[in-house]
Amino acid sequence: MDMLELLNFYIIPGLVLGSIYALGAVGITLAFAILRYAHLAHGDLATLGAFIALAIVQASGMPPLAALPFAMIATAVVAVGIDKGFYEHLREKPKIITVMASLGIALMVRAVVQVVWGVDAESYVRGIVRPETYWGLRIKDREIWTVVFMIVLVAALQIFLARSKWGKAMRAMSDNPSLALLSGIDNRKVVVLTWIIAGGLCAAAGVFLGINTELKSMMGWQMLLPMFAAAILGGVGRVEGAVLGGLIVGVAEELSVLVLPSEYKAAMAFAILLFMLLVRPTGLLRGKVL
Amino acid sequence: MTSLLRLQGVTGGYGDADILQDVTLHVDDKEIVVIVGPNGAGKSTAMKAVFGMLNVRAGSIVFDGDTITKWATDRIVQRGISYVPQVDNIFREMSIHENLEMGAFLKKGDLSAAYDRVYSLFPDLKERRKTAAGTLSGGQRQMVAMGRALMLNPKLLLLDEPTAGLSPRYMEQIFQICRDVRDTDVAILLVEQHAKQALAFADRGYVLAAGQNRHEGSGADLLADREVAEMFLGG
Amino acid sequence: MELIGLANYALFMGIFIGIYALLALGLNIQWGFAGLFNAGIAGFFAVGAYASAIVTGPAAEGRLGGFDMPFFVGWLMAMVAAALIAWPIGKICLRFRSDYLAIASIGVAEIIRLVVKSEPALTNGARGITSLPRPFGDLPYVQSQMAYLAIVAIVLLGAYSLVERQFNAPWGRMMRAIRDNELAARAMGKNIERRRLEAFIFGSALMGLGGALFAHFNRSITPEAIDPMVATFLVWIMLILGGSGNNRGAILGAAMVWIIWSMSEIATDQLPAEYAVKAKYIRLFLIGLMLQLVLRFRPEGLLPEPQRGKAVADSNRE
Repeated sequence: MDMLELLNFYIIPGLVLGSIYALGAVGITLAFAILRYAHLAHGDLATLGAFIALAIVQASGMPPLAALPFAMIATAVVAVGIDKGFYEHLREKPKIITVMASLGIALMVRAVVQVVWGVDAESYVRGIVRPETYWGLRIKDREIWTVVFMIVLVAALQIFLARSKWGKAMRAMSDNPSLALLSGIDNRKVVVLTWIIAGGLCAAAGVFLGINTELKSMMGWQMLLPMFAAAILGGVGRVEGAVLGGLIVGVAEELSVLVLPSEYKAAMAFAILLFMLLVRPTGLLRGKVL
Repeated sequence: MTSLLRLQGVTGGYGDADILQDVTLHVDDKEIVVIVGPNGAGKSTAMKAVFGMLNVRAGSIVFDGDTITKWATDRIVQRGISYVPQVDNIFREMSIHENLEMGAFLKKGDLSAAYDRVYSLFPDLKERRKTAAGTLSGGQRQMVAMGRALMLNPKLLLLDEPTAGLSPRYMEQIFQICRDVRDTDVAILLVEQHAKQALAFADRGYVLAAGQNRHEGSGADLLADREVAEMFLGG
Repeated sequence: MELIGLANYALFMGIFIGIYALLALGLNIQWGFAGLFNAGIAGFFAVGAYASAIVTGPAAEGRLGGFDMPFFVGWLMAMVAAALIAWPIGKICLRFRSDYLAIASIGVAEIIRLVVKSEPALTNGARGITSLPRPFGDLPYVQSQMAYLAIVAIVLLGAYSLVERQFNAPWGRMMRAIRDNELAARAMGKNIERRRLEAFIFGSALMGLGGALFAHFNRSITPEAIDPMVATFLVWIMLILGGSGNNRGAILGAAMVWIIWSMSEIATDQLPAEYAVKAKYIRLFLIGLMLQLVLRFRPEGLLPEPQRGKAVADSNRE
């Protein structure tokens, strides 16, 4: 197999898939670091975002990328609503109780998708898209959009976290929650902000998965493990780590086909997760271990 | 003159158990007051009581004319008391400057006067303002922690064992900083493990044992007191 | 006729409740007593079911099997196999907060699902393993059902008394001490990881046994026999509703949730086909909502954990 083949069939699809994982993993890593629990409904929230975009596409005829901002806002609102309705009252309890609640939310969100949209596979646009060739690299437009949007969204988030007052407050809450409270930072606002960001990014992950493959009610749940593997691989709390982790997990999944039967693609994320917990639980970029 | 801070007969603790029993103490303007006592005497607890982090069952806490006994922590911060915990008192992954910024989170408007004040107290920090606080030495971290607490221009600073784990050289430095802070019209109430040195440096002191105050007086008087000496200064 | 049908249904339901109660009991060891979050119950269940099926099932071309062992050997193997899967996972994850175990156990269940589907040499793929021996399976239908119910009840009772005894033994006290105040337990020199690993393995073995009981009851096991997410979640809601930390609560919860679950299925099956499909998902939504409501309004469950001289409140369980 030559280099071009490797790039065309494994690396490029891996980076695209990895960008999708990265979008979800950033939200997971923020929730893990700031709210301090593993949010198990993250994948199904991505499913919801993807289907909300589908509804917009079908109702208005606009392309899925144009529907993306609306889907992000809607999913962010849902995420904040879920927090207010189901997680907020558990805040004083051990965090693992919220993990359990989020497992229930995962089931509920998926059930809503299944009732409203059914369980059959859907897609945003019908027909086959042919890739363009750039210096021998075969890339589809939608693949470029996926990677570009991921980079833009994450860069915007990084600027927000580094420069703005509330972005710094989020980092402070992740860094040292009790000192953040002593400094008068309003925990409730930070939580809402975290959900707006995580929910929006979740929707983006779902929409791009839908754009590049198809929409299914289980699509998000199946992304949950790779997204967590990405967050832990990069280092919990590290946004750039989650991106790096996402890309590595995506490429690793695609490359695994070279040595493993393709049925076991999904096992790669699990293997990476266990490996990291075994040898370096802080992740590549020295994140937290909760 | 009325005191800046006065605890009158404070009894309370976490949950159901009372750790403090009828504690009475006061801090006047521009004064450094130290609380010393053996381990488990409730020194830090007394400090947390002031900061609204304790369940106070009896007694009152009055600050600058307001009874703050039942106030929420953020309201107390706004009113002019800042607190520096003993451990985990900085944002490790944030720069020195960002640590200070978080200290002034509740403040609206221009912060440059507040930064100038802190940086003139701690010139070392100004040079390294972009450095992540977690990479600093113990003494410098304590400066960041105090700097963060001073950003809101408090009238009273609460320090929980600021010299714990520091070398004698840094201890002296921290005490010197306390004096400098005091000279900018901030009263300081601190809890200290190093009783001898702390009493020598403070204006006044209280000896707390088993959740009750046993002795009070000027630092020198307490140091001279035989009972105090026998209790925990090692005879 | 109606009455006989009803009695048959009750027998059927009793057997299922017994099997689910065993799973809830296993989860109670892990969550109720050790604070370990296992989100892969269905995985351990499947491992037990297939392990017993392979050991006891008939020989077949191109597939591991034909050992012709009696059913109780299969059940033993089910427990061993589930424990062997639990061991490395616990070894890796139990050093950390339980969130990590939650994620990893989702992964375990996923991998097991993949193996079941794609390793026909072990599991016969989508067709599954059939013609498993069933104890007293030669009796007429009703008697056979009654006999199986009796076996399930005996197994459950045995597991219950064993678990209950362990909980009141020093082992159980230590588990609770670790769960309620990890720092203090560590300071007292307790080997926390080891105790947790024991609880995780012990609980997983019971889940494996539950899987074996299920497979032999049906005389077969196929990948479609259980929906992993639904099964896992049902066991969770059983334990939380019944009362985590309370073994009787686990059994009571299993009975209540299973009755509600299967009754609601009967009700929705009466609907026209196009609604019946949606109704299944509405039931899933409601069972998820039920968990939220229990967590909010009765977090201790119907039968709260008995106070066995607990020193520290549950609020420290983190």
